[in-house]
Formats: sequence, structure tokens, C-alpha cells
Amino acid sequence: MYNCKHIEGVSVTAVADQSKKLLSKAEGFGVKKLYTDYHDLLKYPDSLDAVIISLPNFLHRESVEVALEAGLNVFVEKPLAPTVEECEKIVKCVEKSGRKLMVGHSMRFLDAVERMKDQVADGHIGSLETITAEEILNGPFSHGAVPSPIPEWWFNPETTGGGVLLDLGYHMIDLFRFFAGDADVISSCLDHKMNLPMEDAAILLLRSKSSNTKGIINVGWYQQSIFPSFNFRFIAHGNAGFISTDQFTPKNMYVHAIKEGTKNLFRKATGRKIRALSYTYYYEQYIKEMGLFFECINKDLEPPVTALDGLRTVEVISKAYLMSSP
Amino acid sequence: MNGKVGNMSVQEMKKDTVGLTKVTDDNLSTHVARSFDLINFKIDRKVESIIIKPNLCYYWDSFTGYTTDPRLVASIIDVLREKYGLDKVNIKIAEADASAMRTSHAFKMLGYERLAEEKHVTLTNLSAERTTTKKVSIMGKEISYEVPESLLSADLFVNVPKMKIMSATILTCALKNIFGCIATPRKLAYHPILEEAIVGINTILKPHLTIVDGMIALSHFPVKMNLLVSGLSPFSVDWTVAKIMGYNPNRIRFLRLARQERLGDPDEMQIIGENLTDFKNKFPHVNAFRLKWQNKLQLKLLRTYSKIVDDVIPPFLET
Repeated sequence: MYNCKHIEGVSVTAVADQSKKLLSKAEGFGVKKLYTDYHDLLKYPDSLDAVIISLPNFLHRESVEVALEAGLNVFVEKPLAPTVEECEKIVKCVEKSGRKLMVGHSMRFLDAVERMKDQVADGHIGSLETITAEEILNGPFSHGAVPSPIPEWWFNPETTGGGVLLDLGYHMIDLFRFFAGDADVISSCLDHKMNLPMEDAAILLLRSKSSNTKGIINVGWYQQSIFPSFNFRFIAHGNAGFISTDQFTPKNMYVHAIKEGTKNLFRKATGRKIRALSYTYYYEQYIKEMGLFFECINKDLEPPVTALDGLRTVEVISKAYLMSSP
Repeated sequence: MNGKVGNMSVQEMKKDTVGLTKVTDDNLSTHVARSFDLINFKIDRKVESIIIKPNLCYYWDSFTGYTTDPRLVASIIDVLREKYGLDKVNIKIAEADASAMRTSHAFKMLGYERLAEEKHVTLTNLSAERTTTKKVSIMGKEISYEVPESLLSADLFVNVPKMKIMSATILTCALKNIFGCIATPRKLAYHPILEEAIVGINTILKPHLTIVDGMIALSHFPVKMNLLVSGLSPFSVDWTVAKIMGYNPNRIRFLRLARQERLGDPDEMQIIGENLTDFKNKFPHVNAFRLKWQNKLQLKLLRTYSKIVDDVIPPFLET
């Protein structure tokens, strides 16, 4: 909702949420139509072009299908759905509806990743041989980023559909696919460091059938990260060199924020459009992906991340779970 | 306790004695027993119920410096049973829900469920217990609390806090851990008057014994201190901990308030056992002004910037 504010031609006209606190925030944001049940919001699809679905994992399939059936374009946060079966149903539903669906594979739009992708495509590291991708953070246990206290659905594997592999691992597997073309699991190792019913640490060995690129994915929820540290790195190793997100990520986030904030002040003063959220570095990806979604609707283009991308990623995760089960 | 502690005989010891014990090996029970001896802890009344209150403020385990190590609580249980003959007494480990934490998850995730099974003790969510409303006035501010009745009636109430920095109060330890006993989960409601609220609840709830988990303390990052701080008075324990963390206790507002409310008197306290300076040198000091104002200042600047430029502030940074 906040991000939409900076996308030209987009206005948020209706919001549905069970939380009265969040609805009152939406009201303060100028949204007139407020609902506690998203089904009520979808009763008047004529006044809408698209919906953004940011619901718990177990509600993705149902809500996406209802929105598509109402004739709306859909942006859904990752994962597309927790299981392969649900994802397949969504893929079919998208095809049948003729509407656009984009999944929030936001890390593809991180500045460092975009620049790496360009350089790999331009042959700067030679042929892509291996990828290491790691993201070890606090996951749902991050104060502020997740509603407080953490909603109960996060503690139940029935409602999350999985642990860190479906949460952070999903992004890393998608990035592997983005660079290598496709992904299959060779080996999977899951761990429970925090006495949770779902895995909170995972290491996967991946292989791309099309490019023969191999990859190591290392993800965890077990690290208590403190802003501005962000324990993510993605390294592409080629036969002519390597490239890493660390090379493009600002060394000092405070200096970066001041620099980008000052640039925006100048842009504003000279009547130009600001580059929203650039001072946060990591959050800018959310505006970029959302902007692309609406651009695809306006120009009738295929979204850069489709339901099929979501399905393929969940297929890898599902296989990894099967390989790790006793 | 036999004859002498450090250089001082038992008879010479002042009422508010704080003991510093260095944990030198894995035999934690020995060090816990030593820390009890240092402060001449004795049980001179019939004990039929024991409540131990660790600090389980969130889901990060003791290695992060956030929460009390269950191994310490286990050792306290062992010492109470073996040294003080309380092996038949019902022991409860108690914690209350907090704004961001639910006790049921914390007990499981932090290893307390396993501990309860191994030691045959009970886990209690203070937010789900019978409470009584208590009102106090601190510095002219009327403060109301929902206080768990079990804490008011416990024959032995053991406070086992963690030693940490905290932006709102500079440090959090013994007195703040008692604030964590308030049954109301949404303790954020007290935050506008947090220091008064900490002092107020400590005028109502009086633990009989405090033993601080300073094995891993929290500065800007966790640091292995291998320290236990024991005392009968939470005020004196906090006064000592403030010194270890490199702060002048007189400049910590909640300690000043606590002193005014007669929760303790630094002139009547003594620190015995290990040398305080050794631990002080080990703790990475964080400037109090920076600790208290850095985040507030950042957010203020960010809000001003976003107002001028009309940029977005992610909700994550707003909290």
C-alpha cells in the first residue's frame, strides 16, 4: 500500500484486513473502502484493476483464485502457495482467467542482483559454473517487520506449509533459477535449531539441467540480525571470474542513506521525480517489482515473474522436503 | 556459610551484599552454590512453594545475550534441592506474555519445556494466572498493575535476570525482570512511564533472591562474561551491574527513582567475591547518550526527510 503511493497512475481504493489497527492506518492513508473480509472487497471488482495479496501462506490459493475469477489482475507475495498441487491449480486458473498474475520474487529486483545479472549476461565471468546463495536472518522473528506478537499461523506447519526453506530458501532458489535457467535438488539438509515444528535452517545442493550450473543454498531463521546488517549474499562463479552482491551492496548503510536521501532532496527541489525508498537500499526492490506489475497491466505484457516461476520454485522445495524426510 | 567470605567474616557483612562469582567450568551448580554462599543466603522459614522467574523476553536463546540460560535455572533448582533440602517442594518456572512474546512459544523454543521435564518442575504463564490489581504512586504518577497472586504468596521467589543494555532504560537486569512479571501482555502501554513503572512494580513484588545470568551478557553484541551476580536486593544487584557495564548508577534514572522510593541504598551495600573491575574491563561499554537517543534521532531525521521529499518510511523502521 505504501509502495503504491510512488507508482504513477496507481491509487489504492480499497483495503481488506482482519486487523482494525491496520484498517485505520489504511484510512489515514486516504483509502475510503475498508473491509474486514476480502470476499466483500471482491464483490465490487468493476471499480478495481488489480489486487495485491499479502495474506498468510495457507490463504494464497483460495484468495488468488477468487480474485482471478472476479476478473482482476493479481500480485501475490511469495510463496505462490505452499504446495505443488495448489500452485498447479493457480497456474491453471491464471490461464483460464486471461488475467495477469505476478509473484513477489522481489530479490530479482534488488539493485545488486540486477547489476550482477547484466554482467553475467554480458559474459564478464565467462561461463557460469557455480552459484552460492545465502540468506541467514531472523525470518518471522524480526521485530517490526512482522506484526507483534508474531501471528500464530507462523508457528504452525499446517498454515505456513514449511519453514525457512519456503520462506528465505524460496528467494534463493528463485535467484538460482533466474541465473542458471532451472533448478533441481541433488541433496537437502534441514535443521531445527530453535525447537520449532518446521525447519529453521536448510542447506541445499542444486543443479541446473539446462546449463549444468551447480548451486549451494544456505538459509536460516536462527540469526538475530540487527539493522542495518543484512546477511544476504549471492555469488556467481564463472570460469573467467566471479561476481558477488557484496561488490555492489553499500558498505555503510548510513552513508548510503544520507547520499540517496540528499539526491532525493535535490530531485524534489528541482521538480523531478524522487527515487522512492532508495535510501533503504533493500526496500527499493519492492517498489520496483510493484511498478513492473502495473506496467505489465498497462502495456499488456507478460509479468517478469509468473505463476509458473512460483510453481517451479515450490517444486524444488517440495522435492527437498521429500529428500529430507526420514 | 563458613566463617569468611573474601576478606570479610559473616558477622561483618552488611544487609545488601552483592556477590560476584566467576564461572570457570561447566560445573555450574558449584558456582551457583558459591554465589549463594557469598551473600549468605539462608532459608529461615518453611518453604512450600518456589517460583523462579527467568528473563524470556523473546525467542532468542541465551547465546544471543537476550534470555536466561536454562542451564542456570536447572543449576539453581539443583542447589535449592540438594543444599537447602527443598527436594519435595513444588517449583514453578514463571514468565508472563509480553507485547512481542508469547510464553508458550518461548518455553518451547528456549529449552524450558525440556528443562521442566528433566527436573520435574512446572512451567507457568503468569498472564494466564489469577491476578490482583495493585496501584502505586511513583513521582506523582498513579500506576496500576495486574499482579499474579502466585508471586505475592510464593514462599521463595527467585529472580534470574539477564544482564543487558536497553535503549529506553540504558540497562535491564534485576528490577526490569520484575517488571516482566506483570500479567498484562501489552507492557508497551507502560513504556511512556517505563522507569516509574519498573520502580512501582518493585515496590509490590519482592523477590527473596536474585541471581543474574551474566555468563553471556548483551552489549551491542553478546559477550562471554562468565559471571554470576547474586544478591538479596534487586536494587543492589542492578547498582552493581550498572558499574560492571561502565555506567555511573547515579545517572541511571530508574535506579535514582528506586533509591528515592527506598528500594535500596548504595551506602548500605557492599560487593564481594570477584573483582568488579575485571568484569568491567571485559564488558564493551556503550555510551548512554548514544544508546538512548541514537534511534530516536534517526527516526526523527527520517520523518523530517520523508515529509520534505514525500518518500516512504517502511513500517519496519517506524517501530
